Amino acid sequence: MSKGLNRFAILVACATFFLIIAGALVTSNDAGLATSDWPLSNGQVFPKMVGNLFWEHGHRMVATTVGMLTIVLTIYILSKEKRQWVRRLGIFALLAVIAQGLLGGLTVKLMLPLAVSSAHATLAQLFFCTTVSLAVFTSRSWIEARPLPEEKGNLPLRYLCAAALVTIFLQLILGATLRHSATWDKPLPTELILAHVGGAFAVTFTLGGAAVSVLRRHKGESFLTRPAMIALGLLVVQLFLGLAAYLTRAASPKDPQPLNPMISITVAHVACGALVFATTIVLTLRTFRVLPASATDARMSHGLTPIKTDSY
Amino acid sequence: MNKQTKVWLVLSIALSLLALGSACTKSGTNTPAPETSSTAGAGPYSGPTGTISGVVAFNGTPPAPKKIDTTADPECGRKNPNLSTDDTIVKDGKLANVFIYVKEGSVEGGKKIGDYTWAAPSSEVQLDQNGCHYAPHVLGVLVNQKLKITNSDNTTHNIHPTPKLNAEWNQSQTAGAPPIEKAFTRAEVLIPVKCNQHPWMKAYIGVMKSPLFSVSGTDGAYEIKGVPPGTYTVVAWREGGAAGTEKTMQVTVPANGSAKADFAFGEGAATSLVKPSLQMMPAIEFPVLHNH
Repeated sequence: MSKGLNRFAILVACATFFLIIAGALVTSNDAGLATSDWPLSNGQVFPKMVGNLFWEHGHRMVATTVGMLTIVLTIYILSKEKRQWVRRLGIFALLAVIAQGLLGGLTVKLMLPLAVSSAHATLAQLFFCTTVSLAVFTSRSWIEARPLPEEKGNLPLRYLCAAALVTIFLQLILGATLRHSATWDKPLPTELILAHVGGAFAVTFTLGGAAVSVLRRHKGESFLTRPAMIALGLLVVQLFLGLAAYLTRAASPKDPQPLNPMISITVAHVACGALVFATTIVLTLRTFRVLPASATDARMSHGLTPIKTDSY
Repeated sequence: MNKQTKVWLVLSIALSLLALGSACTKSGTNTPAPETSSTAGAGPYSGPTGTISGVVAFNGTPPAPKKIDTTADPECGRKNPNLSTDDTIVKDGKLANVFIYVKEGSVEGGKKIGDYTWAAPSSEVQLDQNGCHYAPHVLGVLVNQKLKITNSDNTTHNIHPTPKLNAEWNQSQTAGAPPIEKAFTRAEVLIPVKCNQHPWMKAYIGVMKSPLFSVSGTDGAYEIKGVPPGTYTVVAWREGGAAGTEKTMQVTVPANGSAKADFAFGEGAATSLVKPSLQMMPAIEFPVLHNH
């Protein structure tokens, strides 16, 4: 295990989170087409950062930094990491960040069609998911984790958590589509708002159920309870942010330009959504790491001992 | 590779393919075919013409202009320290920037006005960016008429029309850059134009088949010249809400004469009758849902 690799993976995950915030600021400020150029801005590498170009070009600069960090991370993984599947995940991260950059260019060149913009926002979350996973897989706690003896409950926790994770991801796609379906000066489509609200109920039900089950069944196992607690706390914050984002966004068409608090609240809602997703990823991966698929599998769990193999 | 890794990789790849796949379903940027003349058309109109004129009023208290925050681009504040919204310009109860046009109707003799054709003039229409506002705020051009876009500000602007029928485009224009020349190939009322650099900057362009249109001035007055004698539906459009608001009026134009068509927007405008000098119907206000 390389402590340096793990720290660098955490750095990339944090930078990706910052990139998601930068991207959300572009959308909330309606700055996506502040320049018709790509990859340059108005034909320049460093244009004058005024008006909405500050947000759009700033986003490109952060994205370039994350791209560079990802290249270094992939090389780091390939040189230090012996587990084949982690090496492959590192390569996947690199491919994902390249695809994301190209999608970003397409959003500009095609003038923000809903499908491309939503795909760009969705792949951002998927890439974030990958970097968080790499940080988890290279951590000491992951490598040294011991299997828990039994699964106390009817439904295996790993599946409850995986269901929550998939639900959150679908909700993120819905949210991205909703955000890109109308600019700040136009009302959002009601059917998408309702779908996103329905998604919020689904996330509350699945994530709440999974996290509470973890807390009840594995009291004292901080390896599992800590991400469960954080996910629950973030979920509550996210629900309030969602309500505030709706109220401020509904009022924004009356404003002469995108203004606070609409900008800050909608961006906070996106950022908190990414954090809920990241925490649920950690929780889900850890349940897969230490818990068997079912009680009968408890004694047959595979690849969970901290021995130097290619499988942990 | 163990089972959990396979699950993880399959999930990641499937979702990324889903995201990328959805990106391939592009819509909205197809270049529309140029408008073609009807073979059954009546050709250019030649004969006596009349005039439609009137005044656009605003009933009630107009909304106060909203101050614009220019901290993101200080150049806008330097040139225009009191920069505010320009969507409702009312002076002495008269409303500017209303686009009035002949929508349809019959020319004396029975032919439809839409059957006649008008060639695009060689003169160009100018849209300037000045003080971080578009000037004029509302304008009309003929199909294929040249639109010349200039930048009088010492900052970069970004011209972005968002039409439904014409091709969408987006082009940055730095300070001191040469004018941008464009033309729209299909009739469309009205095309919103935005500046993605300065989100408050908006303009509206009516792309017309005929020159039978006008825009109300700061005194609310307008005049449409060269109207063939006949009975027409005249539309007055103003921005506001999701798609703007329209009022319609039936107007009969005599040969070598004039018809008066006054419009009113604002409070109670839907029921306040504007007394016509000729045959007119009460104005009806309804939101436009199809264009914007």
